[in-house]
Amino acid sequence: MAKKTVKKKIVVKLTRGDVVKLAVATVGSIVAAPLLTTGPLSPFGQLKQQQLEGETTGGHGAETGQYHWGMAINLDLCIGCEYCMRACTATNDVLASDPWNVVIQEKNSAGHTFFLSRPCLHCQNAPCVEVCPVKATYHREDGLVVMDYDRCIGCRYCQVACPYDARQFNWEDRTDENPYVPAWGEPEIERRPRGVIEKCTFCKQRIDAGLAKGLVPGEDREATPACVEICPVGARTFGNLKDPNSKVAQVIASNPTFRLREDLGTEASVYYIPPKEGL
Amino acid sequence: MTTTTLPRKSFQLPFSPVFLVWLGFLAVLLLIGVYSAIQVFIHGLVITNLTDSVPWGLWITVDLSSIALGAGAFTLSAIVYIFGIKRLQPIIRLAVLVGFAGYTSAMLMLLVDIGRPDRFWHPWVFWNVHSVLWEVTMCITVYLMILVTEFAPVIVETKLFDRWPALRKFGHFLHKLTPFLAVLGLVISLLHQSSLGATYGIVKSRPIWFKPSMPIMFVLSAIAAGPAVTVSVAYVMEWIMRKRTVPHDVLQLIARFSGVGLLAYGYIKFWDMAAVTYYGRTPGVSSAFALLQQQTPYSFSFWVGEVLLGILVPAVLFLVPRFNRNPAAAVLGGLSAMAGIIIHRWNVTVGGLFVPLSYTPGTSFQLPIGTYFPAPVEWGVGILVIGYALTVLTLGVRFLPLFNHQEH
Repeated sequence: MAKKTVKKKIVVKLTRGDVVKLAVATVGSIVAAPLLTTGPLSPFGQLKQQQLEGETTGGHGAETGQYHWGMAINLDLCIGCEYCMRACTATNDVLASDPWNVVIQEKNSAGHTFFLSRPCLHCQNAPCVEVCPVKATYHREDGLVVMDYDRCIGCRYCQVACPYDARQFNWEDRTDENPYVPAWGEPEIERRPRGVIEKCTFCKQRIDAGLAKGLVPGEDREATPACVEICPVGARTFGNLKDPNSKVAQVIASNPTFRLREDLGTEASVYYIPPKEGL
Repeated sequence: MTTTTLPRKSFQLPFSPVFLVWLGFLAVLLLIGVYSAIQVFIHGLVITNLTDSVPWGLWITVDLSSIALGAGAFTLSAIVYIFGIKRLQPIIRLAVLVGFAGYTSAMLMLLVDIGRPDRFWHPWVFWNVHSVLWEVTMCITVYLMILVTEFAPVIVETKLFDRWPALRKFGHFLHKLTPFLAVLGLVISLLHQSSLGATYGIVKSRPIWFKPSMPIMFVLSAIAAGPAVTVSVAYVMEWIMRKRTVPHDVLQLIARFSGVGLLAYGYIKFWDMAAVTYYGRTPGVSSAFALLQQQTPYSFSFWVGEVLLGILVPAVLFLVPRFNRNPAAAVLGGLSAMAGIIIHRWNVTVGGLFVPLSYTPGTSFQLPIGTYFPAPVEWGVGILVIGYALTVLTLGVRFLPLFNHQEH
């Protein structure tokens, strides 16, 4: 093949009219884009407003709110009875094979058996919230990481990004019978539709209803997450981490604690008290 | 002796027999694909083999691969319009068509993969600017618009637009913008081609994903393999349509470019393996790789699939002059580079998810290693996307003035 070394120049023929047209089109698009996607002209604007109601913060956990809901789980007390898992599955009507709250039998470095139970840890620096492309999972002002089931598109990126395996996808329409109802509680929330991710909410329905009645979540049973309320050995404590006088804040202050995968910087809201044999 | 010559064209079949067979093949692919997609929409993702521990699989692989394989459009546009190598001009329209096929394939694939296809538009309305996936979605949307704008002048040249001279004029106006679109396309493409790698690279809890080189590997492999795909399409369409498409010296030059690109990618891959993965490893990374090597064919698919098939074989076929001149060898090289890309995306996605998360503070419990092999319905939808892409390419080559045009 003969090498051609002649370089041809590319000539750009733009007239003044073209430049003006281009400028008008650019400015026009810049103005039109927000109007059409989120602004008053948007067919979705109304919908978006509706969905935004109740979503008071987009950002970084409980920075501004009066509450920061947190939990302490005492591994030294936990006997691995799985009551928390059962009560959670009944109360939130979770698919029994994919519980939100799991109980794992573990061994410490000396071979001593202990039990680790794990709800969603409600990270203040949550990988799932960061990666969601549509803000379907977000922080409430009280630090809870919750889902908007009407917004989730089911891409499953949050599930992939969660370090704690705390998210479940709805692979099919639910027709199963919940084996833990009514023995372990009655469903307090609707089943989630097919095609969305779901997760533990610290029973936000109880917290919200309780606060509206003037109850104290963590003190009054009615306003406390099902897993905490049912624990027969009192291994779980729940409450407002921002209030130094709350039971949970005092338990954390008076015990050695750790959080899961602290190295990832997720700032979980669930603190664990290690078994007295150590980890 | 005089005979009257009727003013009509000599009668010939509108399609060559090869083309008819090809159309039949495409129809079979599309039928299988549409049937599978309907099954998924009726029954939900439960009929796939995806699970809560391996929620991404074949479809995400197809999705990432088709975007990477469409990278020829921005690479070649940049070469022609920014670096001024005007000799490659004759392939630009085909490259843009291949890019369009790749990007729309990815969108089609995502539509089936997400749990709620009815909410596909949410990322455009409910922005989460912190999400790399949102950034990728927006970039892909914008880039698809750029591709359409670049391609509009070609479409208005068809006979159909004889009736609408105003649209044709507008098309010619858009054509003047091509160099600017090439710059914009380059910027946007470098961003999202690498961000697709960042989609994995930022996930802190997954040991074999979390590394800063992930975006680099994605963007480099796309730049190297994308143009090779365009070359293969040009040759194959030539065989099917029985007509010259792009001058062969242009295709040979692009194949050489792709060969050099693959070698560069191969070198960076070596650097990544040594500097980032081996010397920069943490205990988590080491045990993750040990697990993959013991329990999955990860090593085999890495060395044979990604390195041999994806880099060395096509580099030889593109760079050794004897093979470079041979269209069949070039197509083989293109297919092999494509396979390399697809295997790389598969290894990243599925390999990364196979490694179980470790979050417990104890010493004995370990989540089971992930298992996944695509279900028939997943292969079916994959075939739909391939059938769709091939149909777009075929129709484009058949009906649009992609070749032999005069550039002003």
